[in-house]
Amino acid sequence: MGIFSDDRANELRALFFESAQEILQALNDDALRLEKAPRDPEIVRDLRRSVHTLKGDAAACGYTDLSTLAHAMEDVLAPAVAERDPDGVVELVLIAADAFDNLLTAYRNHTDPPSTAPLYEKIARLRNPVPVPAFTPEFSWSAAELEEMREAASAKPVWQIALGIDSVCAMPAAALQLAHNVLASTGALLAIHPGATKPGAPETIVAALATEAPLEDLARKLKIPAVIANVHLTAFDPAALVELPVAEAAPQVPSTPAPEAPASVPAANSSQTEHRARDERMAPSENMLRVETERVDTVLDLVGELIIAKSMMHEAVAEMARHLAPGPLRTRATDTLTLQSQILHKLQRAVMKIRMVPVEQMFRRLPRVARDTARAVGHEVNVVIEGGNTDLDKSILDALAEPMMHLLRNAIDHGIEPPEERQRLGKPTEGTIRLDAYHQGNQVVIEISDDGRGIDTARVIQSAIDRGILRPDQAAHLPDEDALDLIFQAGLSTAAKITAISGRGVGMDVVKAVMDRLKGTINVRTTPGQGTTFRLKVPLTLAIIKALLFRINERLYAVPLASVVEILRAQEEEVHLVDNQEVLQVREQFVPLIRLRRIHPGGERRSKIFVIVVNVGDHLWGLVVDRLIGEQELVIKALDEHTINTEIVSGASILGDGRVVLVLGVAEIVEKLGRGQFTSSLRKAEGVQK
Amino acid sequence: MGKLQQIVGFRVGQENFGVPISLVHEIVPMMEITAVPDAPQYIEGVVNLRGKIIPVMDLRKRFAEAAVPARRNRIMVAELDGHMVGLVVDAANEVLKIDPEAIEPPPNVFEKGEVNYVTGVGKLSGKLIILIDLARVMQRGELRRISEVAASAGALPPAV
Repeated sequence: MGIFSDDRANELRALFFESAQEILQALNDDALRLEKAPRDPEIVRDLRRSVHTLKGDAAACGYTDLSTLAHAMEDVLAPAVAERDPDGVVELVLIAADAFDNLLTAYRNHTDPPSTAPLYEKIARLRNPVPVPAFTPEFSWSAAELEEMREAASAKPVWQIALGIDSVCAMPAAALQLAHNVLASTGALLAIHPGATKPGAPETIVAALATEAPLEDLARKLKIPAVIANVHLTAFDPAALVELPVAEAAPQVPSTPAPEAPASVPAANSSQTEHRARDERMAPSENMLRVETERVDTVLDLVGELIIAKSMMHEAVAEMARHLAPGPLRTRATDTLTLQSQILHKLQRAVMKIRMVPVEQMFRRLPRVARDTARAVGHEVNVVIEGGNTDLDKSILDALAEPMMHLLRNAIDHGIEPPEERQRLGKPTEGTIRLDAYHQGNQVVIEISDDGRGIDTARVIQSAIDRGILRPDQAAHLPDEDALDLIFQAGLSTAAKITAISGRGVGMDVVKAVMDRLKGTINVRTTPGQGTTFRLKVPLTLAIIKALLFRINERLYAVPLASVVEILRAQEEEVHLVDNQEVLQVREQFVPLIRLRRIHPGGERRSKIFVIVVNVGDHLWGLVVDRLIGEQELVIKALDEHTINTEIVSGASILGDGRVVLVLGVAEIVEKLGRGQFTSSLRKAEGVQK
Repeated sequence: MGKLQQIVGFRVGQENFGVPISLVHEIVPMMEITAVPDAPQYIEGVVNLRGKIIPVMDLRKRFAEAAVPARRNRIMVAELDGHMVGLVVDAANEVLKIDPEAIEPPPNVFEKGEVNYVTGVGKLSGKLIILIDLARVMQRGELRRISEVAASAGALPPAV
């Protein structure tokens, strides 16, 4: 790196880490494409190009481990290899993408890069395929053995020999001795695994033999009836393995040539994918400018201050207007202010747009997670993505990545049935996971649905009773939708069996917690036998919201307009008491009321009340306030949680006159001041009485 | 005589307190405090300090002392680890310079398990100044015994 100054080198590295993440994403994407269209030479070439770029960039930054690995990868990313072993190539690329990611993480954190030896083994296996499908041994030799083989190969042909011991063989240990004898009598035995001294019975014997005996003779001699079932011979090519450090990395051949356990590998992959999720940067494009999020946030903060200043100006001008007779100066001031407001509004939109990224950025990571999960649990799934170009605040989207992965794994593990079961039910063996995103007012809705078995509500209830979350008498008249909400409670898992992927009862409550933090909502709909849909609603942005301002006991408060369903004016006598709960009849429904005066007791009772009807978790609640002020755009500032520690106030904002208005968290208000979550049974019961 | 410590002294009710000058951001006239529901009772509320919303604390309530008639003239804004907090004070004196030798260790009135938020008791021209550890004061949790600190510090022989 001597040619560059330290600053320049650091800059170069930062750039490399960003572009590398994009390449990794491309590798993942293309590998999944290749899995769908096996042997497509175009995709293989794309993969090769990506790896090639990675190799060059890594080399330029001095990351030799990565560039060497990429170099080795390049060789097997050829259409011919994909033609021969399409699955092998897909598997290799996916594992390599994870290995690259681990290397990058290590480089970034200045820790020791993890071993990439297993990958080299896989690469070697792909390079030197063994054409017998039923018996696919792998050869790898120690450096010393390789050296010996290379030396011998200059004089005589050297064969790599794999012998599969017949499963009917009564004495497999003796088989090794027999094979050893036969080999030694045929030529110069350069290496044999397992060694004769190794205890236990091998299933496979691999050996390297230098001999001039013809291939047919060799094969015939080695096929000892009832002892050796399979014979496999490959000519040793001294040039082939030269550049690969296979030998040092894996001096021993595994005792069985069995494919690696499929369950363990994808499970590990998915956790790495999660890890990658946090590092993911913006999508690649020629016309993109990379800017640190903090810089944008600074601009957004300033715009927020400007909006406050604008409100102050508004008040000042209004004040002036009261004192000044109408005239050209007054008109000019008002006009200028109007113009300024318009520009400010546009500026605010524009800055917020900078923070917006397409949902696609999060969605595109999910097919890989889906694939790994499906493999691990033996289900078949296809992921359909829609609405990927829906824009959402980057910080919100980032926060959604983990919950979405959790929901996805859950859907595949518990939702989608095993292929046999699906077939029996007359469903396509491949399950479908649908991801969708769309705008709805000032909110973004993200949906994830599966066409699996649906959630068994009865089991959810039973599980909740077993864990003491629900009392049996509560369960008796619990409406279905409330029962479903139970899955968001901590410690509740309805999985029939616990798997490594999901079903440990952690997760759904975490999903819920994230949604609460984002001031979003989550709800679930399920149809037995047809599938489940989770709908996540989040605000477009957290920084500026439209809010409804009101007074409680002369104090000013606001709630986000997004959670307001309607505003009602009512008389005190219209409020009824049912089961000790104040309710107000709103058309067909009884809406339970929460008197916000409880947070500021006192004040004289009024006969006329205002009710702000809000929607929390698909239930309506009426917040009783003294007086409505109106709607206003608020720049939300967080309260210092460290000191203030309040649950029901979610933020604060400064009004034009400098006053502070507190923004109440609607969900928290309902949780703290409402009567728990089972009130909708009450609503229903009321409906019946009516 | 050691290096003089610079302390901002302030009065809340009967007691004189002091904090290192480096922690004091500014002292502003009393302004409208917006009460925050559901907050700890010693949090008076929040104020708008030139566009920043900061919490304001009542030290007497913080130390679980009974309310006394107070003038509450000023808000002293302190900054600690990037957290700003306002303290309602009756009066804030100018910067005091105290000889470290005139600072007594905190009287042993705190029981095991209690948070000792007093770093020492300074004496300046016959007045006792309770030096408090703002970091501990700003932490959550119960704090008590400020009057006992004052009482036992007062009982000590006056520093030379």
